[in-house]
Amino acid sequence: MTTPIISVSDASVSFDDTRALDGFSLDVPVGALVALVGPSGCGKTTALRAIAGFQDLDAGTVSIRGETMVSDKINVPPEKRRVGMVFQEYALFPHISVAENVGYGVRGSDRVRRVAEVLDLVGLAEYGSRFPNELSGGEQQRVALARALAPEPDVVLLDEPFSNLDAPQRERMRRELKHIIRAARVTAVLVTHDQSEALAIADIVAVMRSGRIAQVGAPPDVYRSPVDPWVAGFLGDAVMFDSTVVEGVIETPIGDLDSDVPSGTDVQVMVRPEWIRPVQSPTASACVTDTEFYGHDQRAEITLADGSVIEAMVPSIDAIKVGDTVTLTLLDAVVFDRKEPAGLA
Amino acid sequence: MKRLIVLVAALAIIGTACTSDDGSNSLTLYSGRSEDLVQPLIDQFEEETGIEVTVKYAGSADLAATLNEEGDASPADVFFAQDPASLGTVALAGLFEPLSEEILSMVPDRFSDSDGAWVGTSGRARVVIYDSTKIDASDLPSNENPFVDEEWAGRVAIAPTNGSFLSFVAAKILVDGEDATLEWLEGMAANDQPRYSGNSPIVEAVNSGEVEAGLVNHYYLLRALAENPNEVGRNYFFPEATAGSLVMPAGAGVLASSDNKEAAETYIEWLLGEFAQTYFAEETFEYPLVPGYPANDVLPPIESIPTPDIDLSELAPLLDTATDLVAQAGLL
Amino acid sequence: MTQARSAVEFDPVVPHGDNGIVRSRGRQAKAPWWLWLGALALVGPLLLAIGSLFLRVFDATPAAWDTLFSTRTLGLVWRSFALTATVTATACVLGVGGAWVLARTDIGFRRGWGVLIALPLVIPSYVLAMVIISATGATGLIADLTGYTFPSISGFVGSWIALSLSTYPYVYLITSAALTRVDPTLEDAARGLGATRTRVFRTVVLPQLRPAIGAGALLAALYTLSDFGAVSLMRFDTFTRAIYAQYSGRIDRSPAILLSIVLILLAAVIITAEWRTRGRGSIFTSSPSRSASRVRLSRAGRSLWTAGLAALVAVGTVVPIAVLGGWVLQGLANDVEFVIPWNAVVGSITGATLAAIVAMAFTIPTVVLIVRHQSKRTEVLEKSIFALFSLPHITIAIAVVAFTVTWLRPVYQSLGVLVAVYAAMFLAQSVSSAKSSLMAIDPTVDDASRSLGRGRFQTLWRVQLPLMRTGLLAGGALVFVTTLKELPVTLLLSPPGFSTLAVRTWAAADELLYTRAATAALILVAMSVIPVYFLSIRRRESVGS
Repeated sequence: MTTPIISVSDASVSFDDTRALDGFSLDVPVGALVALVGPSGCGKTTALRAIAGFQDLDAGTVSIRGETMVSDKINVPPEKRRVGMVFQEYALFPHISVAENVGYGVRGSDRVRRVAEVLDLVGLAEYGSRFPNELSGGEQQRVALARALAPEPDVVLLDEPFSNLDAPQRERMRRELKHIIRAARVTAVLVTHDQSEALAIADIVAVMRSGRIAQVGAPPDVYRSPVDPWVAGFLGDAVMFDSTVVEGVIETPIGDLDSDVPSGTDVQVMVRPEWIRPVQSPTASACVTDTEFYGHDQRAEITLADGSVIEAMVPSIDAIKVGDTVTLTLLDAVVFDRKEPAGLA
Repeated sequence: MKRLIVLVAALAIIGTACTSDDGSNSLTLYSGRSEDLVQPLIDQFEEETGIEVTVKYAGSADLAATLNEEGDASPADVFFAQDPASLGTVALAGLFEPLSEEILSMVPDRFSDSDGAWVGTSGRARVVIYDSTKIDASDLPSNENPFVDEEWAGRVAIAPTNGSFLSFVAAKILVDGEDATLEWLEGMAANDQPRYSGNSPIVEAVNSGEVEAGLVNHYYLLRALAENPNEVGRNYFFPEATAGSLVMPAGAGVLASSDNKEAAETYIEWLLGEFAQTYFAEETFEYPLVPGYPANDVLPPIESIPTPDIDLSELAPLLDTATDLVAQAGLL
Repeated sequence: MTQARSAVEFDPVVPHGDNGIVRSRGRQAKAPWWLWLGALALVGPLLLAIGSLFLRVFDATPAAWDTLFSTRTLGLVWRSFALTATVTATACVLGVGGAWVLARTDIGFRRGWGVLIALPLVIPSYVLAMVIISATGATGLIADLTGYTFPSISGFVGSWIALSLSTYPYVYLITSAALTRVDPTLEDAARGLGATRTRVFRTVVLPQLRPAIGAGALLAALYTLSDFGAVSLMRFDTFTRAIYAQYSGRIDRSPAILLSIVLILLAAVIITAEWRTRGRGSIFTSSPSRSASRVRLSRAGRSLWTAGLAALVAVGTVVPIAVLGGWVLQGLANDVEFVIPWNAVVGSITGATLAAIVAMAFTIPTVVLIVRHQSKRTEVLEKSIFALFSLPHITIAIAVVAFTVTWLRPVYQSLGVLVAVYAAMFLAQSVSSAKSSLMAIDPTVDDASRSLGRGRFQTLWRVQLPLMRTGLLAGGALVFVTTLKELPVTLLLSPPGFSTLAVRTWAAADELLYTRAATAALILVAMSVIPVYFLSIRRRESVGS
C-alpha cells in the first residue's frame, strides 16, 4: 500500500479534566472515503479539527501528503494545510453571495471558471447570485461542499454533514455526496454519529471510542467481524449469548457452534439478527411472539424454550407470523473471549 | 472600507493643516478668559500689529495646572488668566519671565505681582448680588461677616469650588487670619447657605428667584442685564474694606519658556493700551486698571471701592490652605 | 442470559450534541501577536499615562491623605454610589421599556419615536441640567408658560433626572439591537405552554436580553460615575465633583489623584459586579429564522404607552430644544449679535469624526481578541477599557498632559493625540456595540475561512469585519456623539486655536451669554441627529444581508 495521505499517530487532547483524544491514530489511504464514527463525546469532531488544524494537540503527530503538519516542533496553521472542510452548520459567510462564498478560497485568474465548474458539480449552477439565507438546508450543504472543493484540495473533511437535513434529504444527499467526492477525486474523511450512514457511504469505517480508534476496516468487515462486543453493538443490532467452550463446541440456545477456542474459555457469542434463519417446524420449541413487516424485510421476535427473547431479521419473502413455531439456523456468529474480548476474532 | 481610509487620510491632512506654524511673528496664548470676551480683542490686536495669535481657551485653574505639568516644555508664550490665584500658581513654579518695568509701571502696584511676574489687566470687584424685589440695599450688611448670622440663613449663595471664591477665601486669610476665616466658613455652612458651581449659576439663581442673594464678581449681572434688561438682580458693593470688597485683577504674564518674549510683551502692553482698556470698560463691564480710562457708567468708580491692603502675590501660596479650610468647613 | 441490544440503547445519541461543547471549550486558540498589538496600541499609552499619574501617590502630601481619610470621603462614596444605582436602574426601566414597545408592539409612529427617544444621548448632561434648572422654579419657563410654579429641581433629584435622561439611550439602543436577535419561537413556545404575556416577557425575553441590558447599564453606570457637568450644576456632591474641586482649588495635585484612584476602585466594583451577573447561558445567538409578530396593544395600552413615550420625549428632547431655542429668540429680541461659530463647527466635526474612525479601527482587533480568544488577559484588557470610560475626564486630561509633555513632546497638543485620547476613553462604547455583533456570529465561519487558505489577518478583514460591520458602525456613531459632548479633555489637550461646539456652549454659558451658548448647543444637537438616526434604525437590519 502507498503512503497514507493523512496520518495521525498517538494524538492526545485534553479539555479541562476530560480527554477528548487519547492516543488517537489513523491512516487514511489516498482516494478513500473514510467515515469516522462513534457515539457522541467520543472525540471524533476533535480529531477532525486536529487534522484541519483548528485544534492544537497536547501530544502526537499529524502528517498530510507525507508532510509533517503537527509535531513537537511544528504546527502548520489551518490555512497552510490545503485541506477542505465542510462544517456541521455549514458556516457559510452570510454577507456574501453563493458564488463569492465558493470563490473565497480560489486564487488566480480562473476563479470565475472554477466557481462555475464546482457549482455545476454540486448541481447549483444557477444559484451563484443568491445569498446563503435564501437557500434550503440541502442547498446550503451543497454550497458548503462546493466551497470546500473549489480550491482543489486533495483532502476534504466533513463534520456531521447530514445532521441538519431531514430523513429523505439525508439519503439523497448521502448518495450525491459520494458521487461528487468520487467525481472530484479527493480523499474524504467524514464524521458521523450514525453508524448506518457510515456503513452506507464509506470505503473505510473507523470506529471511535473514548478518544481513540477501536476498529478500522471496510464496512462489511467491521460489521461482520467487530473486534469486541462494544463495536458489535455500536455498528448494528446484536444478539448476545454468554457461553463456555466445551471440547470445541459452544452451546447456545439457538444451536451449537464449532470452535477452536480452548476448552473452558468463557465466551460471548454475537449474532446479527439477520444471521438467524427461522424455519417453520411444528415440533420446534421456539415460538414467534411478534412481527414487524418493513417491506424489504421483516423483524421477528422469537421466544425461546427457556423463556428468553431474541430478534431475527427475515427476508420479506419468508412467510412468518405470530404463533408459528420455528427452528433456528445460525448463518454466522462471532465469538468473543469474555475476559479479553478483543483477543479473539 | 477603502472610502473610510480615504476619509481618514483627508481628515488627517485637514487636521495637520489646522495646527499652527511656528513663525517668529506669532504668539501662542493660554487664555483662562473665555473666547466670547477675548476673541474680539485678539482680532483687533492681530490687525494692529500683524502678529498672529493662536489661543488655547480653558479654565484659568486648569491652564495653570497644565502649565505646571508642561514646565519649560510649554508651547505657550502668554498666560492670560481670570484671577490672581491662577497667575500666582504659575509664578510660584517659577515659570514666568519678569515683566519689564515699563509695563509694570502702567498699572498701580496693588494690581500686579510684587516680583513683577504678572500684571493686572482689568479689575473685578467682589460684590453681593441681591434680588431687588425681596431685599432692600439698606438692609444689607457693611461686610460679609454678618452672613453667618441667623437672619441670613439659607439666603446667601456661595460658589465654594470656584476660583474667585477661593481667591476671596485666601484674601480673607490674609486679612482676618486662618482661624477667623475657618470660623466664618463654618458659620456659612452652619447657616445652610446654598452652594453653586460658579458665579454664573448664582447670578442665574438670583435672577430666577431661586435664592435671594449671593457672593460673586460684579460683572456677571451686568452681562445678564445686557441680554435681558428685566432681570431682578442688583449689585451691592460692601462699604467696608474687607476681603469681601476686594478688587481682584485678571492679568497676564510671559512664560519664561517662550521663544518669542518680545511679541509676548507687545501683547501684554497692548492689553494695557487704549483699545483693550476701553473694551474692558464697555464690553465686559470690568474696571480698566490703567489710570485715565474711566469705568463703565453703570459702575461706581474704582476709587470709591474700599480695598483691604494686601499683596495679591500672597494669594496663590494660600490657595491650598483656602481649599483645606473650605473642605474642613464642609463646604466642598 | 440472553441479551439483545441495539445501538440506540447502547449509548444514547443526542443529535449533534458533542460539537457545541467541544468547540466552545476548544476555542482558546492562542491569539496572534498583532491582534494584541492592535488592541493595545491605542489604550496602552493611555493606561500608561494614567498609571504614571497614579504613581504620584507615593509623593502624596499628608494633607492629601487627610483629604482621603476624612469622613467626607465616605459620604462621597455613598452619594456617588446611590446616584449611580438609581440612575442605572431608571435608565434600564426607560431603555428596556422603550426598546420593547417600539420593537415588539404595533404602536404607531414607531420610526419617529425611535429617533426621538434616542435623542437625549446627544445633549450634553450639563446642558440638560442647565435646561432643567431654568425650566423649573418660580420664574422658570414652565411657570412663564403655564402660570403653574413647578418646584425647582436640584441636588440628588436634579442629578438623577438629568443623568437618567442622558444615559437611558445607551440601554435603549443596545437592547433594541438585541431584541431583533431574540428568537420569537421561544416566546411562542412559552405562550403555548400557557404563560401570560407578562410572564413571557419576564421569564423568556428578559433573560435573553440580559447581556444587552447589562452592557447598556454598565455604560450608563460608568457615564454617571464620570459625569461632572450635571452634578456640579445640580449641586450634588459626588466623587467626580470633589476631584474637580481638588484639581481647581489646589496647586498640590495629590489629593485629586488619590480620590481618582478611589473612583477607579468604585468603577472596578461595578464592572466586576456586571461581569459576575452575566449568565452562564449560551453566548452564540443566531439570527432568528423569522421576525417576531408584533403584540397588538389594547386601546388603553396604546394610550398608556404613547403617553409614556410622549412624556419621555417631552422631558428629554422637546423641552431642552425648546428652552435652547427660547434663549436664542430672547437674545435676538434684545439685539444680541447672532453668530454661528464656524470654527467650532469644523472643530467638532473633525474631532468627532476622527475619534469615531480611530475608535472603530482599534475596536476591531480588540473585539476579535475579547470574543474569539477569551482568556484572563483579555478580561483584564476589557475591564481596563471600561475603567477608562468611568474616569473623570479631568484626571485623564491631566495624566495625558503630563505624559505627552514628558515622553511625546513633538505631538503634545496635536490633533492626533487629542483624537487618540477621545477614541481610547470612549472605546468602551464601540467595543460593547461591536462585541455583541461578533458574538452573534458562529465562530466556525472563521474556521471555514482559514480552511480555505486564508490566514488570520485575511479572515479578520474579509469575514469578521464585514460581519460585525453594523455593530462597529453603531459603536462609531456612539463615539462620535459622546466626543461631540466632551469638554475637559478637549480644553486641555486640543491644539491652540482648536475649538468645539461643546467648548463654545460651556464657555458662553459660563459668561451668561445664553444666546451664544444655546446657538452652539442647538448646532451640536442638530449635528448628532444623523448618527442617532442611524443608531436607532440599525436594529431593523439583520445580521445576514
